Amino acid sequence: MSPFHRIFSLWISLLFLFSHGLWAQAKFPSVEGERARYAVYIELPRSYISGVCILLHDGTEVKGSLFNEFGISAMDFVYRPKKDKVKLLSVQKMLDKWYIRKRLKRDLRELIHVLQQGGSRYVDEKYHITFQFNPMETEE
Amino acid sequence: MTAVAQSEAQIRQQINQAASQMKTMQCDFVQTKHLKMLNDKMVAKGRMYYRQGNQLRWEYVTPYAYTFILNNNKVLLKNSQRNDVIDVNQNKVFKEIARIMMNSVVGKCLADEKDFKTQISTVGQEWVATLQPLRKDMKQMFQQIILHFDRKQAVVAVVELLEKNGDRTVIELKDIHKNEPISSDIFSVD
Repeated sequence: MSPFHRIFSLWISLLFLFSHGLWAQAKFPSVEGERARYAVYIELPRSYISGVCILLHDGTEVKGSLFNEFGISAMDFVYRPKKDKVKLLSVQKMLDKWYIRKRLKRDLRELIHVLQQGGSRYVDEKYHITFQFNPMETEE
Repeated sequence: MTAVAQSEAQIRQQINQAASQMKTMQCDFVQTKHLKMLNDKMVAKGRMYYRQGNQLRWEYVTPYAYTFILNNNKVLLKNSQRNDVIDVNQNKVFKEIARIMMNSVVGKCLADEKDFKTQISTVGQEWVATLQPLRKDMKQMFQQIILHFDRKQAVVAVVELLEKNGDRTVIELKDIHKNEPISSDIFSVD
């Protein structure tokens, strides 16, 4: 193999590594240290919320932060797989009502079940709320 | 007079004068959201256009596409799913968001005495204005807003938004061009 071919092959290999190795589609974090990012679109009967959700598995639970495109936090939450429960840690004042918190916890738990199965959409049929969480490409 | 000796009133005057003389402004921006709970950060990049007379375009290009256009009393929100035009006079929340975004970018919020308690100091080559929200709705969202002004241009170079949950969003304005013509199409909401 000529030096040119060797360099060309190396260059192609590096290109492949960068395009497939460093960037990957997010999958639901299942082991300690794994993270996932989702582009979020929540459609409500008369409005919508969009933004980004980041999840982190810290060994025993999955922590999540949801914020809008401007970076303003909507909520921080924790999912405990052993108990199959969601705990809301902080919620934007506008959403901080007991009945909204109750529904949010339930919906987030159901959504997490969908994400764990590789899905991206959960519909709360009772209140007509659609949660769309599309994996974002993330740097590993 | 040295910069150190400048009083807060003099700095305010210079910023206000620069803001009133600024007919247009356009720049790139880098927004970094620091998440305390996750010990993580998220970087978004985009472009901003401002024209005196209540016109602002704030457009995220990567890693998501999202555009906010304010044109007088109308706001256009555009994402990958939909376009929405909102009349800010009929939506108090958006009226406030639009006003604060606009005033922060050009530094006019230093004059919002009803909204913020402000302290200004000189740090190296910049003026740093620390804004404490006074109104209930703003207090619920932010602990502090910190504006870093480039002293040479008397324009905002960095905006820091500190939230109650310990998260911090830093917006850096880069490659700033002032008073260059901007097409009206940029601010079109129709």
